[in-house]
Amino acid sequence: MSQQSSDPTIYDALMFVSLGAVIIGIVFWVLTLNSYGWTSG
Amino acid sequence: MNNVVAKTLIVLQLVFSLCFMCFAGAVYTFQKGWRDKAEASARQVSDLQKTLSDQQAARADEKTKLEADKKKLQDDAGNAIAQINQLTNDLGQARAGLAAAEQERDKHLADLLVAQQEAQARITETTAARSEINTLRDQLNQGIALRRSLEDDNLDRQGKIDEAAEREEQMLREIGRLRDLCRVNRVDPNEPVVGPVPAAITRVDGVVRQSRKNASRSAELVEISIGSDDGIGPKMKLIIFRGSRYICEIEITDVYPDMAVGRVIEATRNGSIERGDNVTTKL
Repeated sequence: MSQQSSDPTIYDALMFVSLGAVIIGIVFWVLTLNSYGWTSG
Repeated sequence: MNNVVAKTLIVLQLVFSLCFMCFAGAVYTFQKGWRDKAEASARQVSDLQKTLSDQQAARADEKTKLEADKKKLQDDAGNAIAQINQLTNDLGQARAGLAAAEQERDKHLADLLVAQQEAQARITETTAARSEINTLRDQLNQGIALRRSLEDDNLDRQGKIDEAAEREEQMLREIGRLRDLCRVNRVDPNEPVVGPVPAAITRVDGVVRQSRKNASRSAELVEISIGSDDGIGPKMKLIIFRGSRYICEIEITDVYPDMAVGRVIEATRNGSIERGDNVTTKL
């Protein structure tokens, strides 16, 4: 069995940042839809 | 190789995630303004639709009204056309009447000219007749004056004739009376008169102014108030009396126009003579 390195890399950080960005975007999206009462206008 | 693809996909995921986040944040940030604009636009659209519906209703009303006006105007136009036709006919009749009236006027003008000439001739005749009337009026006035003069003369002569007739009647009565007197006294009225005829004595009354005797006192002279103007003449005999008393007679010796002097006939004396006694030619 090969031993894999468990140290986070820059790409892990980038994945984390991208996940945070997605979450923040979803929050904004939910807030926006909430202000419209979840209707399409 | 797998690492490269994985790294690339991670980078792309990061980029897309960041873009999604930015897009969602931007939408959240600006959506309120967009919403306001949309609502304003919606209200504006609603207002515009309402205005449009009002305008359409007004347009429909206006159209109805215009239709009614159009119909009315068409009716008026029809009536006007009928009136125009009637007026055209009236105009034709009026023109015909005007032509007839002009002919009548020309005829009347000709008649008027003839009438004016006749009137001028009548005026000339009237002037001549008026002058003739004045002449005849003068002659009439002269005739009236002459007739009045003749009537006055006629009246005078009629008066004289009446007076003469009265005098003739008196004379006839006097002649009858004298004839009776002659017949009573047996005097022939046809007997011729011999010698001078004494003048007729008319009654004249006077008064004695004074009396005195002459220088030899053989006779008494009396001055009386009547003379030759009263018909007293020489040799006339007058009677002196006082009231109802007979005094005497006198014989006139001197005569003057307004007085006379007489001598008392002593044979007839019946009293003394005083101033103021009456004297008369006959009692």
